[in-house]
Amino acid sequence: MRLRERDIGPVSDPLPYLHRMANNLMLDRYRSSIRREKREQEWSGGGDMGERSPEPSADDRLVAAERLERVRQELDGLGARVALVFRRFRLDGVGQKAIAEELGVSLTTVEKDLQKAYRALANLKDSFDAE
Amino acid sequence: MRGVSAAGIKHDRLHTMIDEQALDWVIRIRDPDFSDWEDFTQWLEADPAHGSAYDRLADWDEGLPAMVPPARPLPQPANDPGEPGWKRWRTGGFATAAAAVLAVGVYMAVPRADPYTVSTGAGEQREVALADGTRIALNGDTSLRLDRKNPRFAALDRGEAVFTVRHDEANPFRVNVGNAVLQDAGTVFNVTRVGGVMRVGVSEGKVIFNPEAQAIDLPAGKALRLAESNGTATTFAIAHDAVASWQHGQLVFDNAPIGDVAADIGRNLGVTVRADPAVSARTFTGTIGLDRDASRFFGAAAPLMGLAAARQGDAWVLKEGDGASR
Repeated sequence: MRLRERDIGPVSDPLPYLHRMANNLMLDRYRSSIRREKREQEWSGGGDMGERSPEPSADDRLVAAERLERVRQELDGLGARVALVFRRFRLDGVGQKAIAEELGVSLTTVEKDLQKAYRALANLKDSFDAE
Repeated sequence: MRGVSAAGIKHDRLHTMIDEQALDWVIRIRDPDFSDWEDFTQWLEADPAHGSAYDRLADWDEGLPAMVPPARPLPQPANDPGEPGWKRWRTGGFATAAAAVLAVGVYMAVPRADPYTVSTGAGEQREVALADGTRIALNGDTSLRLDRKNPRFAALDRGEAVFTVRHDEANPFRVNVGNAVLQDAGTVFNVTRVGGVMRVGVSEGKVIFNPEAQAIDLPAGKALRLAESNGTATTFAIAHDAVASWQHGQLVFDNAPIGDVAADIGRNLGVTVRADPAVSARTFTGTIGLDRDASRFFGAAAPLMGLAAARQGDAWVLKEGDGASR
């Protein structure tokens, strides 16, 4: 990877920037390979592709809505601050230090809240996958 | 009670140490201040299962925003205009009123920060010096929150300010503007937040917009305009002396919507200025010299923009031009 100053402007410290770009690239490749595997599985699975409708069925929508509600309950069940910290971090895109400043709590508190939230959601995801 | 699935069985597959470690890395890497790439690389290289776990969980994390509904709003308690934390959660759009009340309670009851507000009235200007040597110049009708315990932080709630930030790459300066964050290691930049629109122009150095999310780099000569209602951000070039031209008694515009121009004029003159809806989306390019005398100002500025200015009580309105101002 080459950084061209013309394209991105002056970079004060290229090394972390490069690392993050490289990490994003690797994740993009991972995602592409997963999609490719899925496609190959579907194609080899036989000819029901034409029959599949592009619209989610009423059942699918119901399950999706129900899952959204379960995610909401799981998150809110962890406590108002944990839910708030998680949403500020993952949905609003605010950094952990900024969140700690905004709420007047320690950085460690924010870190622990995020770990709690993420683990609960990851466990919930596994429940969904097993259904 | 948590963790009970529809089948009545408690699923707790996240018991493997590798998955827990990978999840911790996913969280840490999503943060803008993250710089432990060497540690991360070492962890990745220690075991091929580490990389697979990380890829899988990072991929899942990418899809999270679609899986997490915004918080359910509760009936609003009375808004206390004196509490900036409360006001921000209300415009945040994702936090519940209950969570916001709790956040305000925590914010006030456990003050590890030592916040204070600096503000200016209409038409007033003020300069603040922070403990680290950073200088902030406030334009009129501006409200800025700072923290005595942390000189590398500011929150612009309303108005306009120029930040001359002391260079410190290890500890970048961060400005919260509503839900957006501007991060920089040492630069000069101007920020405006008015009427649901944020604008930032960089005259020296580099500012990163929302380093955790879009991570748009804004080097010197670049500006960004954010429409807060829908989160749309557009970047454009800006001349060096246009960035904080208000400090030199001038307003420099380059393809600026008349709506923005009206807000800028108002903030600098200390009067209410509106743009007639018929003209507010037009754009203007040019330089306007500021003048304390509003009538004289509009007499010169309105025709320059191909508009007319009319008085409505205490306010002025920019509208379709006829060559003369009233």
